[in-house]
Amino acid sequence: MKQASIEDKLAVNKYTIDKDVHIKIDGKICKTCDKHYCLYACPAHCFTLSNGGITFSFEGCLECGSCRIVCPNRAVDWTLPRAGFGISYQYG
Amino acid sequence: MQVFDAIVVGAGPAGSACAYSLAKEGLEVLVVERGSFAGAKNTWGGAFYGPVLTNLLPDFWQEAPVERPIFQHRYSFLSGESCLSVDYTGPRFKSRPYNGFTMFRAKFDAWFASKAQQAGAIIATGLQADDVLKNGGRISGIRAGGDELPARVVVACDGVNSILAQKAGLRGELLPGDVKQGVKEVLEFPPGEVARRFNLFDGGGIDWEFIGDCTRGLPGGAFIYTNKESLSVGVVVGLKSLVETGIRADDLLEDFKRHPAVAGLIEGGRLVEYSAHLIPVSGLGMMPRRLYADGFLVAGDAAALVLGTGLALEGANFAVSSGIAAAQAVLKATKESDFSAKTLCYYQKLLEESFVLKDLKTHQKAPHFLENRRIYSLYPKLACELADSVFTSDGKPRKRTWKLLREKMKGRVSFYRMARDLIEAARAL
Amino acid sequence: MNIIVCVKQILDPDLPPAKFRVDEQSKRVIPPEGIPFVMNPYDEQALELALRLKEKNGGKIIILSAGGQEALSSIKHALSLGADDGFALSDEAFDGSDSFSVAYILSCAIKKIGNYDLVLCGRQAADWDEGLTGPLVAHRLGIPVINLVREIELSNDKLRFTRVISGGEQVFDVAAPALATVTNEAPQPRLPTGWGIIAANRKQIAVWNAGDIGADVSLVGGRARRRKLTGLFVTERNRSCEFIGGENVLEAADKLAQRLNQLGAIR
Repeated sequence: MKQASIEDKLAVNKYTIDKDVHIKIDGKICKTCDKHYCLYACPAHCFTLSNGGITFSFEGCLECGSCRIVCPNRAVDWTLPRAGFGISYQYG
Repeated sequence: MQVFDAIVVGAGPAGSACAYSLAKEGLEVLVVERGSFAGAKNTWGGAFYGPVLTNLLPDFWQEAPVERPIFQHRYSFLSGESCLSVDYTGPRFKSRPYNGFTMFRAKFDAWFASKAQQAGAIIATGLQADDVLKNGGRISGIRAGGDELPARVVVACDGVNSILAQKAGLRGELLPGDVKQGVKEVLEFPPGEVARRFNLFDGGGIDWEFIGDCTRGLPGGAFIYTNKESLSVGVVVGLKSLVETGIRADDLLEDFKRHPAVAGLIEGGRLVEYSAHLIPVSGLGMMPRRLYADGFLVAGDAAALVLGTGLALEGANFAVSSGIAAAQAVLKATKESDFSAKTLCYYQKLLEESFVLKDLKTHQKAPHFLENRRIYSLYPKLACELADSVFTSDGKPRKRTWKLLREKMKGRVSFYRMARDLIEAARAL
Repeated sequence: MNIIVCVKQILDPDLPPAKFRVDEQSKRVIPPEGIPFVMNPYDEQALELALRLKEKNGGKIIILSAGGQEALSSIKHALSLGADDGFALSDEAFDGSDSFSVAYILSCAIKKIGNYDLVLCGRQAADWDEGLTGPLVAHRLGIPVINLVREIELSNDKLRFTRVISGGEQVFDVAAPALATVTNEAPQPRLPTGWGIIAANRKQIAVWNAGDIGADVSLVGGRARRRKLTGLFVTERNRSCEFIGGENVLEAADKLAQRLNQLGAIR
């Protein structure tokens, strides 16, 4: 079986994307962090490392809550998307 | 303003079991669910076990959207390209009432919520409970959709990330060491293909768990569940060990899918969904000390009521049971017109008397034992190497299995250590 | 002011292409099992204008929707946002109706309601994007129609419609009753409140059949279709990636422009 990229996997899911971001990160803290646990915790690869800093895109978020609890610096301000937005599983 | 007899937050197995039980007794129940339908935000591995649901809704499986009754259990050790399996099936699993089913949460939860609705509960979907209302020291309702919704009692069934249990002060932050991360793909096949590949011509299904290299030695495992015309394929791994080793669960899943014991069976499957979720696995070690407060109860994953025995992780049947127990406590409180912690503590008493807390107590050493890395790396490797030697016919004189094992263990693990692990396993599991 | 809002339930426009199939043989879209239909987003904006008018001027909002179970969920959603009443128009005879028949069905129901000042529809449904139903309803009712409306006010007993045109706006004053189709430049729909959702759940939604609204069944359903759909295809999309470089930025930009021109992407 061909290796599926995370983009391929997320592309089959149903999302209703909000204009408001439900997870915010404090980039200043991320720049000083050497662990970057968020990169490995997020099963949707929403966190990416660029120029020593972390960027976050919420569109593929599966709302699992992993990033909320792994950050040792509490740089992740985590909430759920507003009701009616975010992931909708068809199977689950 | 109307005061609800009870507000249940979350229309998963715990919430719907609670709401159904309360509505059936004529209470005015509101269920608040943030998904656009019940089940929209929920996922699991894919199997549900035990009689607890049958007791609540006899013959539920004839009506509910179940995939396959589970006739067969298989456990496999993976090491490199090797795979050693134990497989069990018996007539008891093939007769009614069935022992377990594979199911999809999005479909099952929607069905279960519809039963609660038919019993008279209001299922308010697309509504998020943001906070609890407090009146003096007691909880008097919730804030949702910009409105204050008062209730005599609030039952938080809002899952592992329970915001309400935190707001009510019953629970602190989750710790990465207390949860496992599950990632899952649903792979769809043409009609009849799943039955053909897994020899399932009697309509039954397989619950297949893997341990070993599928998690690169990290605590956890992989699974394949057979649905009607699809497979649920996933990996469950300790979140703390993932981030500390810099491994991603979805990379483990990709490796697992390419393992020779798996690849051929899933070849050609069309990916129709990718999901992820956290599972609270520390049992009593992470459970809030009290599952009740004045005007408030917490049930299901929100209360960390999940049993991990190493052979499996069970949460949904514990969720249903705790939802029913919460309903019984609410009914008692309603009868006595007292929703204080003094009456609602009956809930915890019911759980202590039922399998929910008894099982968690019996296995309270399991979470610690299951952190032992040898279970996930060395022992599966030894088992596969031993099988390899026993079954190899190379023309040389044969050795006793015992001697083979001793050779394999040399320099890797002492007899003393292995014996201790075995004793600990016997005590914990 | 009494406002009737016509809403359609459609396949969720947020569905990724992987979730549904187009059967090119039967020329039908096979919807994914288990994912609920949603209210057409343009109709949600029409409802938003109706709610704002009601908040300012009082009155009543009635929702009409042709369809079975799916229609009920759209009507329920409208009630949770603040509509007063809703009727599902459902009959076996209606199955297979196209925009012309649906417009007839809606106009029969609107005549039955009788007392109305304004009928609102979305500019089009986000599934087939035909945009026929609204104007056809107005034609059936014999009332004026203004399409692509962004804003509606009540001004000296007249309805004042602001209509979006390319690079500008038109404003029409029309005596009630009238029909408007609402454009996506109208305000975004609100989210339902807690009590709104609860009230909508408690409300019984009446279902009207062909007899209830006095519809002539020879004008509805699959047999009344005068257009035959002979093809339904999903456009094939290909993606490819090329790296274009150069000695310096200017050269790279120049090469990029040449390549884009060659591909017909720019001229």
